[in-house]
Amino acid sequence: MLQYWTAILTEATIFGVLALGIDMIWGWSGDFDLSAYAYFALGVYMTIIMTVGKAKAPVEYVLGWRLPYLLAVVIAVVVVVAFASIIGAIALRNLRDVYFSITTLGAVWAIYYLVENFTPLFNGYNGVFGLFDPMGGKLSYNAYHYYFFAFCLLVLFLVYLLVQRLSRSPFGRMVRAVRDDERAAAVFGRNVFWTKYRTYLCGAGLAGLSGGLFAAYIGAFNPLDWKPTEIFVLYAAILVGGRGNPRGVVLGSFIVYVGFVEMTRYIPSPAARPELGPALRQILIGLLIILMLKFRPSGLLPERLGTDGTKVRRSWRTWFSRSKILPDPRQDDVVAEPASGVES
Amino acid sequence: MSILWISVGMGLAVAAILALSSVAFTLEYAVSRVVNLAHGEVLTIGAYAAYVGETNFHQNLYVCAIIATVAGSLTGMGLNFGLIERFRNQKPLSTLIATLGASLILQNLLLIGFGGASVSYQFAQGNLLHVGPFLWTTLTIKVMVSAVVVAGLIYLLLQRTLLGKALRAVSQNRELAQVSGIPARRVVMQTWAVAGAVSGFAGFLYGETIGTITPTIGNGFLLLSITAAVGGGLGRPYATLGGAVVLGLVMSIAGTYTSSAYQLVIAFGFLVVMLLIKPNGMFVRGRALTVRA
Repeated sequence: MLQYWTAILTEATIFGVLALGIDMIWGWSGDFDLSAYAYFALGVYMTIIMTVGKAKAPVEYVLGWRLPYLLAVVIAVVVVVAFASIIGAIALRNLRDVYFSITTLGAVWAIYYLVENFTPLFNGYNGVFGLFDPMGGKLSYNAYHYYFFAFCLLVLFLVYLLVQRLSRSPFGRMVRAVRDDERAAAVFGRNVFWTKYRTYLCGAGLAGLSGGLFAAYIGAFNPLDWKPTEIFVLYAAILVGGRGNPRGVVLGSFIVYVGFVEMTRYIPSPAARPELGPALRQILIGLLIILMLKFRPSGLLPERLGTDGTKVRRSWRTWFSRSKILPDPRQDDVVAEPASGVES
Repeated sequence: MSILWISVGMGLAVAAILALSSVAFTLEYAVSRVVNLAHGEVLTIGAYAAYVGETNFHQNLYVCAIIATVAGSLTGMGLNFGLIERFRNQKPLSTLIATLGASLILQNLLLIGFGGASVSYQFAQGNLLHVGPFLWTTLTIKVMVSAVVVAGLIYLLLQRTLLGKALRAVSQNRELAQVSGIPARRVVMQTWAVAGAVSGFAGFLYGETIGTITPTIGNGFLLLSITAAVGGGLGRPYATLGGAVVLGLVMSIAGTYTSSAYQLVIAFGFLVVMLLIKPNGMFVRGRALTVRA
């Protein structure tokens, strides 16, 4: 039982880092990025191929180095950020809102099919694998997993501190100002593209970092078992926790991840229908996304920032009322629709 | 040279199906201002409905096509009633995320209902025919002819009927159409019924052309539809038709010289080029602007 909980909490911790990364792009900057999965997967791939050594005959992949784990993760993050700088430059230059999402959606599936079919890169749909032990085999199997869990918790904590700090810094406020009104922010001298671009790269870097952790956790990765739909649970987690609030995001990813794994464990999955359990789980995630968006779009711990960037203290009286202190710009305004219709 | 012609012929067949799917997608956008990520699942539902019609009820090709159309239409109306109208006062991005959730739900319902293994129709493919420089089967020709007929029907619907007129009005400004006495809600619902019917039919044609159906076939086709619609002009049916034909040809010609596995990669390249050069769409007059939906 202890091992079971360690495994689940380790996963939740790793995905917490990823959720913080996605939230920087989606929550702070307001761009719903669907290609975060690609950065996560690239982080996993890069970490694995830089630590397990040369590829043996039927398996083929690039690099095949044998670097120390931490160095490999650092290089993986750098590669992911470099890669994100290309996608981000295309998608953020002058596309916003749904056009941004469409572009990132196209990007993630294009990359997915490229990796699946172009075997020399990461061994195609068979994926890469290899057992490696960052501790050098000094620990027993169980002890290793406990230490690894502690390590992941430490990383999540450090990332959380960094993100929380950044969130309240002038930079965090600038990103949100650009999100809420690009034109006004530009009038006040902010470079809209550069602001969004930097946030995007930070988010992608965090996604790559969580990929690096995940590589050490599962030690194998292939496109068939890890479809881009696998991380939709994190969009649900961010919605539950509260977009734009790092504390809420971490809370949400633990609640949703642990909650879903636990809840769906008891769904019977007969041997004849092995897909039943996972499918029901995905359906619940879809429902959760829709219901949260409809009834509580700001989440359990909504993003609330005062004008000076400090967190607004809420008294217990305002706990149940949604927008007494600051109107939430994302749920109160009805956007005027642009007039571009069917040509007559 | 002959290989090129054959691939252009195949490209036309794909383009015909793609045209239907992306026109349905663009009509949904036109009346509801929603990028419907569950569009691919409507296609898949059409394909599976026809499969049920064939294996469980032993119907022929034409009855199966009607079953697919009806199933798609019902799904479209259900999506509009249950989801899109509920999110009408929210930002387009929220609606997009909600349709992403709906896509997840529908796809997994199909997975539960039909299992993950692929199934296929048993309709006869017919003979190979040389038509000019092209090489088609009888079935491919039927697919293309029916697609052209449906596209013609959509044209007549948009230009010659009262619903078409109301649809165009609602797509330009829903509030203004409403105060002019057009029952906007009903028009939107009817548009979704039409779009769903067209998608269900397109899904059936697609399943018939590629041979196997899985719960995820709509997924890849959704991306192609989006690319065609955005490349041609989102929300504009005729521009979207043009975009679909161009994309179908580009994919099949490029696929001939690389590999058909890279179809989506090529489509994404096409999308990026279009978005960088002319984000409004290639068949829409006017300067390239920063696109905000």
